[in-house]
Amino acid sequence: MIDIQSGYILRPVSPVFIYFSLFCALLLNFLPLGNFGWVPDWLIICIIFWNIHQHRYVSVFSAFFLGLMMDVHNSDLLGLHAFSYSLVAYIAISWHRRIITLPLLSQALHLLPIFLLVSLFPVLVHWLLSGELYWWALTGAIQAIVEALLWPLATHVLLAPQRRPIDVDHNRPL
Amino acid sequence: MLIDFRFKALDPIRNHANWVLRPLEYIMMAPRNAYEVTSEYFTTRSTLEQENQIMKVRQAELSLLANQSEFLLIENQNLRELMSLQKQVSFETLPVEILFNPPNPISQRIVINRGSNDGLKLGNPIANDAGILGQVVRLYERSAEVSLLEDRDFAVPVQVARNGLRAAVFGAGRGNPLELRYLPVASDLEVGDILLTSGIDGVYPPGFAVAVISKIERNADKNSSNVFCMPVAAVNRYRQALAFLYDPQFDAKAPIVSNKPSSGTPLTNNPGRRQTRARGMQ
Repeated sequence: MIDIQSGYILRPVSPVFIYFSLFCALLLNFLPLGNFGWVPDWLIICIIFWNIHQHRYVSVFSAFFLGLMMDVHNSDLLGLHAFSYSLVAYIAISWHRRIITLPLLSQALHLLPIFLLVSLFPVLVHWLLSGELYWWALTGAIQAIVEALLWPLATHVLLAPQRRPIDVDHNRPL
Repeated sequence: MLIDFRFKALDPIRNHANWVLRPLEYIMMAPRNAYEVTSEYFTTRSTLEQENQIMKVRQAELSLLANQSEFLLIENQNLRELMSLQKQVSFETLPVEILFNPPNPISQRIVINRGSNDGLKLGNPIANDAGILGQVVRLYERSAEVSLLEDRDFAVPVQVARNGLRAAVFGAGRGNPLELRYLPVASDLEVGDILLTSGIDGVYPPGFAVAVISKIERNADKNSSNVFCMPVAAVNRYRQALAFLYDPQFDAKAPIVSNKPSSGTPLTNNPGRRQTRARGMQ
């Protein structure tokens, strides 16, 4: 695959690294950072990254499964995160050709509505179910903005194994 | 989502997934615990001495109170026997540790490290040394989820300590003050009044502090008053708490089938144990 930013051809991705990164993101989500609006959802950044870059490995189904895990951890209604993750994974997969050609900052801007959808989904579902909209719960938008800001970092970290040079000359490292 | 909301049919799935996830959660709590342990280890001598001093004074006060309360307790039980009132129910406590606070924009919950294996039951109240923290709302084998006082629409029946006025405190969501609802304008309330659990619901044992009234807005045109209170127990501060294994004897029992025809009363609205379950999504 061609890296649009640098113009180089990337190495083939290793599925082990994909699943390892998803597992690490899940663990990061289990960090006891408290119930604050700014705590980013690491898992959805990772899922969307792999949806956009390698949608054959990480599909809507795996997003659903990981969302189920998050439901259990967050003690939400079972299926809340599962539905929002798979919905967002579908959107990301259908946008991936467009988003992958953009520079990193516009990518983050394009993904902001996706992150907003995930973080405000519980509030919206609650609004649909009970007819009450909790305005103070809309602070989840901060989470989406933090996630969009983390997107360039995530791209650098998660693409790093594929950006390694193919034949390393140990005598002349550069 | 609807299946989970309406029928609670997916609890086995949730239990199994939780069984897998809980070790991972414990692993991820290790860095924070290590940080806390090291910061405790490196506290200076002077702070320790200060703490020790305060603890000693506190202990002296408490032991004095305890001596008196034993006497009062016996006297109270004897008087109740004389008056042929029902005895106060004693209950056991179980020390619990708060594990973490799951991120959720709507509800405010904590996860504790004791579950049904330790004798915890659904609906048991959780408190710390200052007052009531919340109530167990979901039970696993080795852990449980506790809804906090701040949780939206979380209701606790209370009594004003000063004059015995009964009311109910409601949670208003994360970071918002608690509300005292359903009280007329003319009710005798003052800022600074302490609210104790009244014990009439059969969930909370009577006499534990819940909240302090912090603000009162009286609007005479609607004949109601908005009363805001602050929880007494620091809800998001400490890691240790106590669970009350409280099973009141005076609570209404489930109706016995054989007695139904003879009693002749309408059986449709028997008073059962009321559950304080919030409306909408949990």
